[in-house]
Amino acid sequence: MDIHRRIQSQTSSTSTATPSKHAFETRVAEVKSPKSDINALILDYLLMEGYPKAAEKFQKEANLKPKQEDPTIKARQEIQHAIHVGDIQKAISDLNELDPGILDSDPHLHFSLLRLQLIELIRNARGYDPTAAINFAQEKLAPRAASNEQFLKELEKTMALLIFPPEKLQPDLAALLHSDLRRNTAAQVNEVVLQRHTERREAAIRQLVRMRAWAEASCRSKKRNLPDRIELGLNTGDDSGHEPMVMS
Amino acid sequence: MTNPNPFQRRNISYNSAPHRSRLVPSSGFSHLLNPSPDSGSHGNGASSHPGASFSSLDAGSAHSGNAPQGLDEGRGPQQTSGVNLPSFSRAFDMFTSKEPLLAGPNMTYNGFGPTAAANKTGFLAPSYLRGSGYLEKLAEQHKAKLMADREMNMSKGPAVSAFAGSTGSVENRAVTLHNKLPSGIHRGVSLNLIERPPASAELEEDIVSPLPTRWNSDDKDHNVEVFGDGYEVKYTGAKGSDHEAGAIRADNPMPSQCGIYYFEVMVLSKKREDTVIAIGFETRKASLSRFPGWEGESWAYHGNDGKIFASGNNGSRPYGPIYSAGDTVGCLVNFRTNQVLFTRNGDELGMAFKDPIFKDITKSFYPAIGLKRPGDHVWANFGQVPFQFDIDGYMKKQQKLVEDKIRSTDASSLAPPLNDTELIQQLVLQFLQHDGYVGTARAFAEEIHREKQALNMDADVPVEGVNIKDDEDANNRQQIRRAILEGDIDRALTYTNQFYPKVLKENGQVYFRLRCRKFIEMIRREAEINSSLQEAGVKAKTISQAQYRPGSDTQRTYDQHPGGGEDELMTEGEEEMMDTEEDGTEEHSTRPGNYEDETMGMIADGVSDLCQDALQYGQELRDEFKDDSSPEVSKHLNEIFALMAYSNPLEVKEVAHLLDRKGRVAVAEELNSAILTSLGKSSRAALENLFAQTTVLLEDLRKDGGDGAFVTTQSVIDEIPKAQIN
Repeated sequence: MDIHRRIQSQTSSTSTATPSKHAFETRVAEVKSPKSDINALILDYLLMEGYPKAAEKFQKEANLKPKQEDPTIKARQEIQHAIHVGDIQKAISDLNELDPGILDSDPHLHFSLLRLQLIELIRNARGYDPTAAINFAQEKLAPRAASNEQFLKELEKTMALLIFPPEKLQPDLAALLHSDLRRNTAAQVNEVVLQRHTERREAAIRQLVRMRAWAEASCRSKKRNLPDRIELGLNTGDDSGHEPMVMS
Repeated sequence: MTNPNPFQRRNISYNSAPHRSRLVPSSGFSHLLNPSPDSGSHGNGASSHPGASFSSLDAGSAHSGNAPQGLDEGRGPQQTSGVNLPSFSRAFDMFTSKEPLLAGPNMTYNGFGPTAAANKTGFLAPSYLRGSGYLEKLAEQHKAKLMADREMNMSKGPAVSAFAGSTGSVENRAVTLHNKLPSGIHRGVSLNLIERPPASAELEEDIVSPLPTRWNSDDKDHNVEVFGDGYEVKYTGAKGSDHEAGAIRADNPMPSQCGIYYFEVMVLSKKREDTVIAIGFETRKASLSRFPGWEGESWAYHGNDGKIFASGNNGSRPYGPIYSAGDTVGCLVNFRTNQVLFTRNGDELGMAFKDPIFKDITKSFYPAIGLKRPGDHVWANFGQVPFQFDIDGYMKKQQKLVEDKIRSTDASSLAPPLNDTELIQQLVLQFLQHDGYVGTARAFAEEIHREKQALNMDADVPVEGVNIKDDEDANNRQQIRRAILEGDIDRALTYTNQFYPKVLKENGQVYFRLRCRKFIEMIRREAEINSSLQEAGVKAKTISQAQYRPGSDTQRTYDQHPGGGEDELMTEGEEEMMDTEEDGTEEHSTRPGNYEDETMGMIADGVSDLCQDALQYGQELRDEFKDDSSPEVSKHLNEIFALMAYSNPLEVKEVAHLLDRKGRVAVAEELNSAILTSLGKSSRAALENLFAQTTVLLEDLRKDGGDGAFVTTQSVIDEIPKAQIN
């Protein structure tokens, strides 16, 4: 067998390129993306964002072990889960158990959680008596808002939810009831816990993905020669041979 | 590697060091100015300076930095082995011991004239550019060149191959300078190699321009002379009129791709008064008989009046303090902001020039200095030693600005309608499935599903699950990967032939790699056992010797141990010694006297068996591929067979990389890709595409020295604490 020719065709720059390929794509094909780096990105993501089961499996399947075991991963996942389902009371008490003092050290985080708790009370009070929500606002949020203008504004906005019927909400009010607020608040909590325990705030893959978006936008604004569209290969068409993934 | 000590060579033939040490009070270079008789030693030079940040990127360039020019013609092996070494040249032990064909410093070197510029051909890696995309590319280019030349020279015979390193980089420079140098390139005899075309088939746009490395003795006024290693310049003319001056430019222009360029000049003149110096940069249009700054397309900070000048006298304004003998002035060009500032004795002096004509990338700007009075004398640091100014800190601040810009970017444009979080989940999930991490993919899909259900506000809308099919292919590929990662190549071969019988036949190079890896694993096992054997041996020796010679020289102890003669072992050996000596005594008292000897004997028998097996397998390997004439195959075979020559290849850094577990990952992924391709699937997952695309996009952004010069995809990866491969 002629190994020489095969090795060459793998490494040489021109022979693998088809004429129709944009020069950019040819260059991309030549860039090494070492699996060890990609694996590190994946493991880092699973650990940082709190997917303990996947992280454990991945360590086995990819034969990797992280430099340090992070003892907070399971607790972080559960706290995020509590926020996702709207059980803010549980999230706060779990958080205090995991890291007493975290809420005192970060008034913004504390306020975000309390406000989300208020929103959940308002949501649950729909059509019923809103007294519990109003009491909660007066007791827990008003004292904090008095000293901080931004808190005050957010509290006022949140209280407006009580006044308007749900179908007539302005977009910025409707956003308060959207699940994204739960997701973002959960992510915020996760980041603060991470920062206090690992000195890093987020998984590296987030900056990589943003870097990709930023670099493309910058290149286009500088009129660099790029194909009209740079495909990630995520939308699994026939060419990639993957089963389409069903996700909501 | 560039010589860490700019005065070292001069010490041989040009003895002018003493007066300088008086002149420079407490400067960061004082250690350089007072070389003790043997401080020319490579090791001393580096270690005596904490945080010394010069280093070579590979051993090859380290050689080349010390290989003499002008002697190489007709040098045969009989002339080598360091016959010419002066008594102080312990400095070169580390080179001569590994590659005896390399000799010591050039004794005929006189410190003057054009040969100085050609003397250093190593790879310059200024501290503030470490990790930058520019330097990475430059190093790649350099390495490729060295390799190509080494191979080329190998076929020419041993006499030439000894100088492969130096000829390679000389040629590199000569080629890139080819169109720029006006006349008479004095690059030594290696020039005769230029005639052949560049070895690499790189695209024109991929080639990055080199860094300025020294003053260019072919691009100077006749009133100035270059000294030493090409860093020093002296005014040698008579005192001329006020309008006259002598200028000189560096060998290469400042490359905008590096984002920031910085160099420093130390004034070595003897007297503070009547020293007139200008430091800045200019194009080749500027006249060399005039001060930088006075001329069109030149910019400079003048020492006698503290003014800055931009392209002619009209552009002058007061800027900073005057500077003179003993002062160090730095020039910092920020291509991202299009601003220039100067530093004096490590302090930033504020913005000097804004929006010069850097945008015009067709122009080349060279570091430049002007001298005016007899006795004017300067020394430049192009990054070969640490700078006085905290340029690394400045660079970090710039990087932070760009990183923050990126952090505020919204990535939802990449795959609408997915937001950042959803996109990343998809990327991860697709990668896990693509690469056959079935168990992980399933666990991850479950965890995301739970998350989505939790976030689902409307109980009437069911959350659809992620359907990870029980993919037989993925399972098979995972089993094969597992085997390779565990070092069990035979198992991987069996599985592959069973599940994908065509793949190995159709992918000769993958099959070859696997077979080679098996050999490497055999060597590895042997080396590991040897290694633990040695450790035990060191322990035993240390204990017994400590009894007879308390406080004995540990290094000597180590040397006496069989197989401990390698240079690389020294430092590690010494470190180990520190540990073992402490607990060693204890162990000794609790163990029977010759316990270790017996154990060692048993293990040693096992090792020789392993060695036999490896030898036999190696012969089989050679027979199997003997008909393959390709240089890659024979080269790789030679490389791995050479492993047998070392008693403990794990400790020899030149070859240890071949044994690294990372190699398993590489082979496993090569095979996985081959299987995917044979199944008609894309060999890269979307996340890998994204990574590679970002790398290329940044390369494009880097060209004009803008934001792209300050970040790399690698810098993102480096944020992650290193995971270990089990």
